Amino acid sequence: MTEKRRLGAFICHCGGNISDFVDVAAVRDAAGREDDVVVARDFMFACSDGAQAEMSELIRSEKLDGIIVASCSPKLHLNTFRGMSGRAGLNPYTYNQVNIREQCSWVHRHDTPAATAKATRLVRGGLARSRFSRPLTDLRVETVPAVLVIGAGVAGIRAALALADMGIAVYVVEREATVGGNVATWGKLFPHDRPGSEIVATLLDDLNKHPNISLFTNAELTAKSGSVGNFTVQVQLRSETISLHVGAIIVATGLEPYTPRPGEYGYGTPGVITLHEYKQLVDEATGPLTYQGKRVKTVAYIYCVGSRQGSDPDLEEPNLFCSRYCCSAACHSASLASTADPDLDQIHLYRDMRTYGRHEVLFEEAGRKGSVFMKFAGENPPTVESSDDQLTVKLRDDLAGGEQAEIPADLVVLVAGMVPRERAKLQEILRLPLSKGGFFNEIHVKLRPVETVVDGVFIAGASQGPKTVAEAVASALAAVSKSAALLLKGYIDLPPLVAKVDASKCTLCDNCFGACPYEGAITRQEVDGRQVAAISPNICKGCGGCVPVCPNEAIGVDGVTGTQVTAAIDAMMKDRVHA
Amino acid sequence: MKYDVMVVGGGIAGMEAGLTLGDMGFNVLMVEKKPSVGGRMILLSKVFPTLDCASCVSAPKMSATGNHPKVDLQVNSEVKDIRPQLDGTFKAKLVRKATFVDPAACTGCAKCETVCTVATPDHYNYDLAANRAIHIAFPQAVPKKAVITKEGSSPCSYACPAGVQTHGYVSLVRAGKYAEAFRLHMEDAPLPGSLSRACYAPCEGACTRGDLEGNLSIRAIKRFMVDRYYAEHPEPEYGIPEALRSDRIAIVGSGPAGLSAAYFLARKGYPVTLFESDPEAGGMLRHGLPPYRLPREIVDRDIKNITALGVEIKTGTPIGSLEQIQQQGYAATFLAVGTLAGQGLEVQGRDLEGVVDAMDFLSGTYQGKPSAAAAGQRVVVVGGGNVAIDAARVALRQGARQVSMVYRRTRAEMPAHRAEIADALSEGIALQELRAPAGFVGQGGKVVAARWQEMRLGAPDASGRRRPEPVPGHIKEEPADLIILAIGLAPSTGPFAGLGLDLDGTFAVDQESLATAVPGVFAGGDAATGPGMIIAAIAQGKRAAFYIERFLNGESLQGVTFDARLPVVSHDTVLARAEGPRSARPKTKVPELPVETRVRSMVEVEQPLTEDQARAEASRCLDCGVCSECHQCVEACPAGAIHFDQREVEAEIEVGSVLVATGFDLFDARKKPTYGFGSSANIITATQMDRILAPTRPYNSVIRPSDGKAPANIAYVLCTGSRDCTVGNSLCSRVCCMYSIKQAQLIMGSLPLADVTIYSIDIRAYGKGYDEFYEQAQGMGVRFIKGRVAKIEPTADDNVIVTYEDINGKVGVQKAEHDLVVLSVGLSANPEAFGLMIAPGLARDPYNYVLEPDEDLEPGRTSIPGVFVAGTAAGVRDIPDTVLHSGAAAAQVAAYLRRNSSRTAAALAGRP
Repeated sequence: MTEKRRLGAFICHCGGNISDFVDVAAVRDAAGREDDVVVARDFMFACSDGAQAEMSELIRSEKLDGIIVASCSPKLHLNTFRGMSGRAGLNPYTYNQVNIREQCSWVHRHDTPAATAKATRLVRGGLARSRFSRPLTDLRVETVPAVLVIGAGVAGIRAALALADMGIAVYVVEREATVGGNVATWGKLFPHDRPGSEIVATLLDDLNKHPNISLFTNAELTAKSGSVGNFTVQVQLRSETISLHVGAIIVATGLEPYTPRPGEYGYGTPGVITLHEYKQLVDEATGPLTYQGKRVKTVAYIYCVGSRQGSDPDLEEPNLFCSRYCCSAACHSASLASTADPDLDQIHLYRDMRTYGRHEVLFEEAGRKGSVFMKFAGENPPTVESSDDQLTVKLRDDLAGGEQAEIPADLVVLVAGMVPRERAKLQEILRLPLSKGGFFNEIHVKLRPVETVVDGVFIAGASQGPKTVAEAVASALAAVSKSAALLLKGYIDLPPLVAKVDASKCTLCDNCFGACPYEGAITRQEVDGRQVAAISPNICKGCGGCVPVCPNEAIGVDGVTGTQVTAAIDAMMKDRVHA
Repeated sequence: MKYDVMVVGGGIAGMEAGLTLGDMGFNVLMVEKKPSVGGRMILLSKVFPTLDCASCVSAPKMSATGNHPKVDLQVNSEVKDIRPQLDGTFKAKLVRKATFVDPAACTGCAKCETVCTVATPDHYNYDLAANRAIHIAFPQAVPKKAVITKEGSSPCSYACPAGVQTHGYVSLVRAGKYAEAFRLHMEDAPLPGSLSRACYAPCEGACTRGDLEGNLSIRAIKRFMVDRYYAEHPEPEYGIPEALRSDRIAIVGSGPAGLSAAYFLARKGYPVTLFESDPEAGGMLRHGLPPYRLPREIVDRDIKNITALGVEIKTGTPIGSLEQIQQQGYAATFLAVGTLAGQGLEVQGRDLEGVVDAMDFLSGTYQGKPSAAAAGQRVVVVGGGNVAIDAARVALRQGARQVSMVYRRTRAEMPAHRAEIADALSEGIALQELRAPAGFVGQGGKVVAARWQEMRLGAPDASGRRRPEPVPGHIKEEPADLIILAIGLAPSTGPFAGLGLDLDGTFAVDQESLATAVPGVFAGGDAATGPGMIIAAIAQGKRAAFYIERFLNGESLQGVTFDARLPVVSHDTVLARAEGPRSARPKTKVPELPVETRVRSMVEVEQPLTEDQARAEASRCLDCGVCSECHQCVEACPAGAIHFDQREVEAEIEVGSVLVATGFDLFDARKKPTYGFGSSANIITATQMDRILAPTRPYNSVIRPSDGKAPANIAYVLCTGSRDCTVGNSLCSRVCCMYSIKQAQLIMGSLPLADVTIYSIDIRAYGKGYDEFYEQAQGMGVRFIKGRVAKIEPTADDNVIVTYEDINGKVGVQKAEHDLVVLSVGLSANPEAFGLMIAPGLARDPYNYVLEPDEDLEPGRTSIPGVFVAGTAAGVRDIPDTVLHSGAAAAQVAAYLRRNSSRTAAALAGRP
């Protein structure tokens, strides 16, 4: 026999959504006759403010220790009534919702007696679950007010500054000897023509002023342990390994420009250079461009080099993605080159001009300054030939009705895309999944774009995929927001509906280890001199995957224990199974 | 109200930033002008490139926004006058618009939607389907509360002196709810039968349809409603109210004003006694109005509406003085004695036999005791008002040989109702303009002729009409057998002169409360206003009842609003809203008895509309104010949540910072006329197509609007309103290529046999996973044609021809026929953000988006410290970029608040 409980059963009419098809009074009366039920009421709308106030009053006056509301789907109002219970002084996890709308009245509109009988049984099941409910407390985890930022490019530094601004300690770890990443190597950037080096200098200036930020160069992350709010990381410096304690980790490892394969569009031939190389030439130019001592009169740009390689049959692992920035960057470089030498002939060989949003202005400007655009299809790429110091680019120009064109050029600029940086080691340490293009993957591109499957580890900047400076910084600050939301309060409350192991029943068969999708949630532990499985409540999500694989029924999930589920089934099937 | 941050706009950007700031522990005020958060994203079908359901992605965020303990969500609200303070914080005005639904009481059960009688375009479905005036914005709305779209009083309802919900009963008749329509009328005026015959219907003059094919015949609609109701209900449905009040009330005069006051007071439970000097109740209804306009059985049935409430009518009981009533212990008195006396005329021969007063002539006739016989006589009626017309037409019906009317001004100045003048003339009555009686000639004490002074019009007088002057020497004598004088009505206020009268003999009362100088004594109707319309007298009675009740409750008669109707909606507003495909609907002609028949009897001239005619006429209503106040939702709402007296509320708020997330505007496809939007139902926008594809879609499958058939050959036209300087937007809208590819994939899923062609300049699949998504669409068989579309025209059989330049295929200008064309409309700047701050306001970029002065390193910062921007308010972006930008803006807000609070704390600490 179980102890006596004081349960409340509240049945909702939902205006008629339920009561038009279910005899709510009958359900209420039946609930009132169940064991341990001290009060049973019905409400026109249980979710309304008035009904909630009445239920709260009953929880207090009748000293209830568990309630059910039989109404709609828990998706709608589980949190509503949990919150109401909490405010009335009842443990929120002793609340159980019974769905007699979506799962009863709405699907049995033509049979009120049957719908009423079903609702009665569903309510009985809910009451049985409540009878075995136990007060549970949220798992509160203290958090460390510090963040590890991996990568000291624009995204990483800007993130560090923002975190420090909020009073959070920051450790920035940079693999290279210098900071600033890619942006430091670029000259004038669109759309404002500010040099990348100047942007980085501004950031460094701020960074040096911040006492809250520690910067480690020539440093690499080598190990990580712990869980959200409470990580311990090992960082390999030049001569020593240090251990840091942080609450969250932001990965801002950036990307690098694609390096064409030798011979790809003539790469390796003198006069065939990447956009990155060409940009340096343009940035340094004060008049007409010169390449290897010769004046450059004609430049041909070939777009989508290293990007959108789907139609190249020779590649084993083609880069299918669009690198996003290159069209805009090429148009911008062309305008800068026109400014340096208005007589320069520039021919752009592109597939789709992706100067998205405001970047459209760059495309327009390049055209206005004399750039000529020709279009090729992905399956008909241009070729680059070289003879007698003369480069010739050949293509089928779609804009001229598919005419074959031959363009003699002094310089061929390969508008190369971006690729992820070498990240295998980091990926292994952090256990972060990768997206198709090999960049780090977020949980959900819209819902949780900087969060990863590892709680407390965020991704920012171009480590996620190609981005402009502004976009990389925006995503870095978004990662800052998420870290701050986690750390500023000093603790995190995790829902207590997690799995627990009954050590006395566990035989360490290992089945649960294989069933658990969450890294590090199940570990071995010694209890009373025996090795048994133990579940970390901070990592467990309560999915229940481990429960059925346990041969000894040693695992249960709080809130939906085996006892509760069995009791609910028995109660629902009462006087039918034994009939 | 104080908050750390105010987020303006509850779209995906506002929600993302607001929730993040709430999670950080800041107190967030979120202000959304619409009834629900969710912005544009919740309206999408699925989202690219993951093809997950927009609802599944948005709904949890919306729910979190509604439930977050740190986020105070204010929907249906707008912010204005944001003012920066010296300490870095802000003050602002928060305006909560009236929704006429109490959100705390509303449970979102949607019962109201099922009874609403007004259909309105569903803007959440981009007008593809109809919504109701009361509605829950969309199924996933947060908060899930009903709102009423009401732009103000409809002109017809506003024109009614008694505040009858004209629009309300018209919409109820339209819906076939005749008894409900009648009962709604009874809320505001108790004599619907008489009004349906004899009201001069100011509502019809105010009707917006009057600017188009002609106003609604509202009175005819009302007559149908009343006839139907009276046929089914020979007796009122109600009886004497249960809770009787103890204060007894006396009303003198049982005309429209007295009956109306009695009705409203009796409904409140007061015992009311009406004193009537005549043998029958009704006043002007019975004595003034001819039966061919107002049959007496209608008056009788109307009066039952009042007597059923227990009102006692003491007929044949003239009241000679105020004291006579006061002695009987009445707690309050209402004097509505009317203007039944004819005005005297000082002219030679006035006392001859055959010279009679019009009121005596008419009321005697109606009571079967005519004061003079017109049969076979030459009758002259003197006067130009409605009484004169009635007298002339009654004389004609008595068999007069000849009837003429004499008026001292011209027809244009006649005070009689236009329609009545026309009716009288059509019946053969002659009108002699510019004539005044100079004397009547008698023979043997009986009139035989009249002498007429010729008049001309001089300078305008006080009434604005030109004053008639005699033309010297022009007097003419003509034979006449019967002269009926209808030169004005005098108030019957004589016995109560002690209360104070105005110069014209009407009661001197407070215009608002109708109180006389004696406490507890009120006076109204024609006796206070001078002769007027029936409905105006009813309004007076209603007003008197309101103030008499206040008087009896010991409440002040000052400082209250009796008429709290919303401001009227202008015709221009309505016509602008109704532009586009609106079918012309001619006015229903109200049938009348032919002249030959009608002049021979007192039978009603106007004939009723049939049920079909009445409903068709009611269906011409443009629903000017949108909600008609038919009150069906009030009846249906189980929570009692609907309150038509709700009004806009303004509050002053203090916030630590401001985050602008006002989003974007959609390009209006009408601004690109060559693309033919509006010329065919089968040219739609992609936002409409997204609704057609969405799980909460308006139709049950992908259909083309013209005929509901499944389209087989669909075209997408990219860059509609983008990359196009001819429409003022040279920028790329960033999302259209991708959403079009997404829709194409969804269409191929639901219509596997359909061909989908996408016409583009470039395909801009630049984001993470986008180009792969584009390749996937090509693999599924979506046709991509490189080439901008020049022209889109409908064909006679509802297909659509697209003219374009084919760059890759056949080359050159080509034409293609499709059965549905989808315009991939771009995004444009929403100017709302610039109206939030007091001048000078936020700086803008060259394209009218909120300027971020250092977009690279300080995304989300605006030109004003402490004011930040998130999402598309700062420039178009797709959802992933919007979410990231919002996260960045939240970080900026948090940093600002922290800096500012430490600065403020330091300043405070530094104080002595």
